[in-house]
Amino acid sequence: MKRTILLILFSLFTIHYLLFTDIGCAKKEDVIKIGTAGPFTGDQARIGNDMKNGVELAVSEWNAKGGVLGKKIVLLSEDDRHDPKEAVAVANKLVSLDVVGVIGHLNSSCTKPASRIYNEKSVPMITPASTNPEITKQGYNNVFRTCGRDDQQGTELSKFVVDVLKKKKIAILNDKTTYGQGLAEEFKKSANNKIEVVVSEGVTQGDQDFKPVLTKIKSANPEVIFFGGMHTEGGLIIKQAKELGIKAPVIGGDGLYGSTFLEVAGPAAEGAYMAFFTPTAETEVGRNFVKSYTAKYGEIETYAPYAYDATNILLKAIAESKTTDGKKLIDAIRKMKYEGAVGTIEYDENGDIKKAGYTIYTVKDKKFITYDKVK
Amino acid sequence: MLLQQIINGLTLGAVYALIALGYTMVYGILQLINFAHGEVYMLGAYLGIIILGFLTSIGLTAISLPLSISITLVLSMLFCAAYGMTIERIAYKPLRNAPRLSPLISAIGVSIFLQNFVMLSQGATDKVFPPILKAEGLSILNARITFLQIFIIIASILMMAGLHLFIMKTRLGKAMRATAQDRKMAVLLGIDIDRVISITFIIGSGLAAAAGVMVAMYYGLVNYFIGYVAGIKAFTAAVIGGIGSIPGAMLGGILLGLLEAFGAGYISSEYKDVFAFGLLIIILILRPEGLLGKQFGERSK
Repeated sequence: MKRTILLILFSLFTIHYLLFTDIGCAKKEDVIKIGTAGPFTGDQARIGNDMKNGVELAVSEWNAKGGVLGKKIVLLSEDDRHDPKEAVAVANKLVSLDVVGVIGHLNSSCTKPASRIYNEKSVPMITPASTNPEITKQGYNNVFRTCGRDDQQGTELSKFVVDVLKKKKIAILNDKTTYGQGLAEEFKKSANNKIEVVVSEGVTQGDQDFKPVLTKIKSANPEVIFFGGMHTEGGLIIKQAKELGIKAPVIGGDGLYGSTFLEVAGPAAEGAYMAFFTPTAETEVGRNFVKSYTAKYGEIETYAPYAYDATNILLKAIAESKTTDGKKLIDAIRKMKYEGAVGTIEYDENGDIKKAGYTIYTVKDKKFITYDKVK
Repeated sequence: MLLQQIINGLTLGAVYALIALGYTMVYGILQLINFAHGEVYMLGAYLGIIILGFLTSIGLTAISLPLSISITLVLSMLFCAAYGMTIERIAYKPLRNAPRLSPLISAIGVSIFLQNFVMLSQGATDKVFPPILKAEGLSILNARITFLQIFIIIASILMMAGLHLFIMKTRLGKAMRATAQDRKMAVLLGIDIDRVISITFIIGSGLAAAAGVMVAMYYGLVNYFIGYVAGIKAFTAAVIGGIGSIPGAMLGGILLGLLEAFGAGYISSEYKDVFAFGLLIIILILRPEGLLGKQFGERSK
């Protein structure tokens, strides 16, 4: 009896499976698939979904206008949980599903290993958020980004510490990821001999208790604490530093920008500094984007406009070159001059944007504002 | 700096110890490593946020903060005790006479289920504790201890002392010890072991919930994944202290907390986890039964 039931179940599954694959095959030629990948669950889910929403918005706008090359655009989104291992698996999956291009990943530590897989199949990828300089230096021609690089924001941050804050004794912390460690390195490098590093330490991403290392920092008595890492750890570090009675301000990169940081750090966030992309001049595209994004998803978190532009660049390249061939698309993207929500985007030979600006922000009354507005 | 690191380590260690107790009690009685235990701790943390959020919305926290924290703690412990009991009934009891690997796999299943259950019902992003607790505290000799830290350390010690008294002085505690020593013999002597096992899960889960609420208040942040790391650390603490031994779990937890604080403070925080698991390896090589564990011969099941 048991056996018969099993057999029936098994055959049902098989039939189901065949049916679905069949539908899949039939549909294959009628749509254009693009992929997006990032941390859609977990502690970075909020910025991850913010990025995904940006992509979705662009895709739905194109589909409303009739898709691209007369075909409907299908978006495949995959969760890499900001885990490099997962990112590779996700990249392989997207490639095997024949995506034409990929928007993502979000974290540098994921983008870097994933880019190799997209490169093997010449799938163009545009990351809206990975800022590690190495990513576009790997010699892969399929890699682009709509954001800036850590050497650019590292320079901006060190200039700020040395010239504006006029501080010398610095404690440097990083979260041991490609992004955090890279940013801390760039900061140290660009500050050159103008700063004195009193403590240099790494912490583990996902950890919640930083008091032991902060106690060590407290006894070294730095004037500024630099943190290369993301908002959750950054928020906890600032909060716990206050609890230990550390008065030195905390400064970090774009990873600290976002509402999660404000929530986690609470009142301790006031007076923290971080570099983030320069607010762009008001453009028609930008205004429309903000209007339709907030109507559909609510407040913009961080990378949504960069993801929106990245998606539009990819789809425009498909529309203009009238092909889904990866190599031709890569050439089309490289030659493109695109007026987007974040301003004009043009690419250099590495896949970096030609004009990338960073500005120092600070937290005042639970809001991020540019530092020059404080004075 | 030394005093500050001791405070840091004790706070962390007290929490590890509370969770480790649940592992060690269940192991003592069922020889089962309850991998879903970390998830019960995570549920406790979520319940803490939800209950305290509710109390804030009706205005009780504004009137009396200690009262609302106590209510949160008690309610969340009760809820998690019910969760613990249900988990035992559904996932372990039907497998009581199955090979030892089966309940272990079942435990991993429960753990995955609970993680996804919380992720889907509470969302995949971090939940932030209502900011009602201020970072006030005392300064002693250049070291700072917040009132919350004092509360965590004292509450944990009280709970552990209470548990010790319960195990040593009450009839039910005696029945638990008897079941741990020899389950078959305990049945022959008329001990209702189903009840003993239920009680074990209830107490263990309650303590984990208390740890969860306190951690959530301390760091002000929970997500559906925190049970994993905390569970592994607490399990390590239980093994270091000697799995099956209740004082061992307390000692192991405190030791692990202090070791992490000192390792991160005096050597490097890059290797924080290395100290914890390094100690585990050393203990397993030199004293496999753990610091306070008893050496058993061939164990009669």
